[in-house]
Amino acid sequence: MTQLPITRRSALAGLAATTALPDLSFAQGAPKSVGTPKSGGTLKISHPTRVASLNVLQISGPAEYLAVDMLYSGLTRMGPDMRAQPDLALEWSADADAKSFVFKLRPNVSFHDGKPFTAEDVVATIKTIQDPKSASPARTVLSMIGDVAAVDPLTVKFTLTSSYADLPISLAHANARIVSAETLKGPLTALDTKANGTGPFKQESFDSARLLKLVKNPAYHQPGKPYLDAVEMHLFPDLAAETQNYLSGAVDAMLEVQQADFKRISTAPGSVGVRTPSGRFVNVVMRQDQKPFDDVRVRRAMAMAVDRPTLVDIILEGYGRPAGDNVISPGYRYLLETTAPKYDPAAAKKLLAEAGYPNGLKIPLICSNRPAIRSQVGIAIKEMAKPAGFDIDVQTMPHDTYLANVWMKGQFYIGYWGMQSTEDQAFTLLFTTDAAFADTAWNSKEFDALVAKGRATIDDAERRKIYAEAQALMVRDVPSVIPFFQDVLTANRSYVKNWVGHPLARYFFVENVWLDKA
Amino acid sequence: MRDLLRHPTGLAGAVLLALIAVMTIFGPLIAPYDPQQFHPLSRLQGPSVAYWLGTDQFGRDILSRILNGARSTILFGLGATMAGVAAGGAIGLIAGAIGGAVDSLIMRLLDGLLAVPDLLFTLLIVTVLGGGSGHAMLAVAIAFMPGLARIARSTVLSVRTREFVLAAQARGESPVYVIACEIMPNTIAPIIVEATIRVSFAIMLGATLGFLGLGAQPPSTEWGLMIAEARQYMFRNPICVAAPGVAIALAALGFNLLGDALRDLTDPRGRR
Repeated sequence: MTQLPITRRSALAGLAATTALPDLSFAQGAPKSVGTPKSGGTLKISHPTRVASLNVLQISGPAEYLAVDMLYSGLTRMGPDMRAQPDLALEWSADADAKSFVFKLRPNVSFHDGKPFTAEDVVATIKTIQDPKSASPARTVLSMIGDVAAVDPLTVKFTLTSSYADLPISLAHANARIVSAETLKGPLTALDTKANGTGPFKQESFDSARLLKLVKNPAYHQPGKPYLDAVEMHLFPDLAAETQNYLSGAVDAMLEVQQADFKRISTAPGSVGVRTPSGRFVNVVMRQDQKPFDDVRVRRAMAMAVDRPTLVDIILEGYGRPAGDNVISPGYRYLLETTAPKYDPAAAKKLLAEAGYPNGLKIPLICSNRPAIRSQVGIAIKEMAKPAGFDIDVQTMPHDTYLANVWMKGQFYIGYWGMQSTEDQAFTLLFTTDAAFADTAWNSKEFDALVAKGRATIDDAERRKIYAEAQALMVRDVPSVIPFFQDVLTANRSYVKNWVGHPLARYFFVENVWLDKA
Repeated sequence: MRDLLRHPTGLAGAVLLALIAVMTIFGPLIAPYDPQQFHPLSRLQGPSVAYWLGTDQFGRDILSRILNGARSTILFGLGATMAGVAAGGAIGLIAGAIGGAVDSLIMRLLDGLLAVPDLLFTLLIVTVLGGGSGHAMLAVAIAFMPGLARIARSTVLSVRTREFVLAAQARGESPVYVIACEIMPNTIAPIIVEATIRVSFAIMLGATLGFLGLGAQPPSTEWGLMIAEARQYMFRNPICVAAPGVAIALAALGFNLLGDALRDLTDPRGRR
């Protein structure tokens, strides 16, 4: 097998893995530790959304991502620097055309039930994810895997159906953490309430309506870690109550801080606000297989009728950046710098008239009531687009009704998405014809071809060029209006050390956290 | 009406309700701004000459939103109560007029429903039906129905043995005639008193459901929803929360005071 050239990403990651083993915490993109870590203590984290399930293959909620990050490990893990870091895999290599990958696994790792971790567990997990019955969000992301086989107990070989240099990043997917082969022989529903991973913490008790309590895994594969004896995740459905509990010292960290509270929390005595730029975005979905959004002029008019800097001010309180309808934010590797459409209601009105709507366009905009940012954006866009001739009727509805009746079907609604690990994942989440959630019905063969070509291209410069073309297409055709990228905001008490923010909000490195209490 | 205005509680209630009525009828006309209009450069401002009650998180004028919200809030209270009165009154009238096993069956069922607190009952119904103003109003009406049915029935029981009812029956009038023309007109007064007081509860229940995200939805100017939307900003501009809160309190107080006065005036034991 030929190693990839040193400039290639997989080789870099593999090199980093092998050279930095003595102090893995730095290799894993963890923050530089402040002071000497102290062991012991219980970290109490508050979160406003429920941990409805512990099924690592299926979960999709913000608090669930934190829970499984502590309970499970993957082959790789995305560091805060957006690079794939070794986790259960020590190193990896690929052939010249990135169609075959070999991962060397970490020895002497065991699951929480004491059973040893081997290559068979990796094979079983990947095959389960590939089975549509698993309903795993990781399935699309790992669709290029043709075959996975255990070469020996500590070596796994992946054979891909097409070239794909980003496999180590895709394997870091939050839903691709490794589950034991024995567990997977039983019903998958057992994973909903009982976790058996190789992560730094073990499940002690789980009440989805109140509290998830985890305790230290003494057999964790990073020597000396985790520092904490236990972690408690406390559910606070009421945001005001959550903030007050944090400020009063009842909890040590907040998983999510609302924009309106961030300044107050950051400046409170003994509190540290953590702000992390991210590619999380709200988008205005304009379904293109129906009138009026089948006409690109109407979509462009909509794009020009949105005052993006003002949205960042009034919705995000400044904690974000204006975006220009390109799903790729500055945190990605292959960003094409483009200029966001200027707020120009007069030009938008003219364009709308050219598209056959000289008297304006009356249209309902559907918003789910959760999270509130969706209806806030809807209300703001209604007012901003009014001078451009858009008469928008904002209709807010319960989230369940939205999911059942509007999402993936509606003509004009507000979506809300987290940042993805790679350009390919971002494109194939929403915008390619075969995207997991192709709700814009853009169906651009040109875009599909570019994404497929970019995925199979190994040369970095060539790939950059291809992805630039794809992004330019997106800006030209406006499959949806993406007005801003939202920062990830968290907070911790000042005695909580190494609590980090992550642009993807799916990796938390709690094994590095320690409490500096007397 | 003259007696009502001479009654101190009634006068206070009438004044408050007159104010609320003006807001409900003329609110959108006298509001200084469009309640949905943004003023991004004037966000979360305190009271000023330009914005008498300040502005919310979008820079919307709070006074204009309160004036516009009066209509949805008051109509919710009146609508839910009237629906509850219509359904509960009819059930109570039938149970009381027919009596016997039918009466017993209906009243035991209603006793069961009465054991559930109104707020819990409405939350249960809205959870089943789904949120929104219409469902919230229906939920409050259903929650009110058992109590109003019980009052209607007890009034019917006290009326149905009176001479004019017996006389109508002796004349050979049909049961429908007796219920509709003899019994019902004489049961209305206590139901009106009860309904007036219940409007205040309906307003508060509606605001509670709006606050919990189960009633009116953004961008409605319903007062409970206004509190919920502004809650995150109450440390930066407390009036965002206080203004709709005071409006709800005054509306509820107005109906309560008026209901109390009506009860005093219609209760023979209370007359001096």
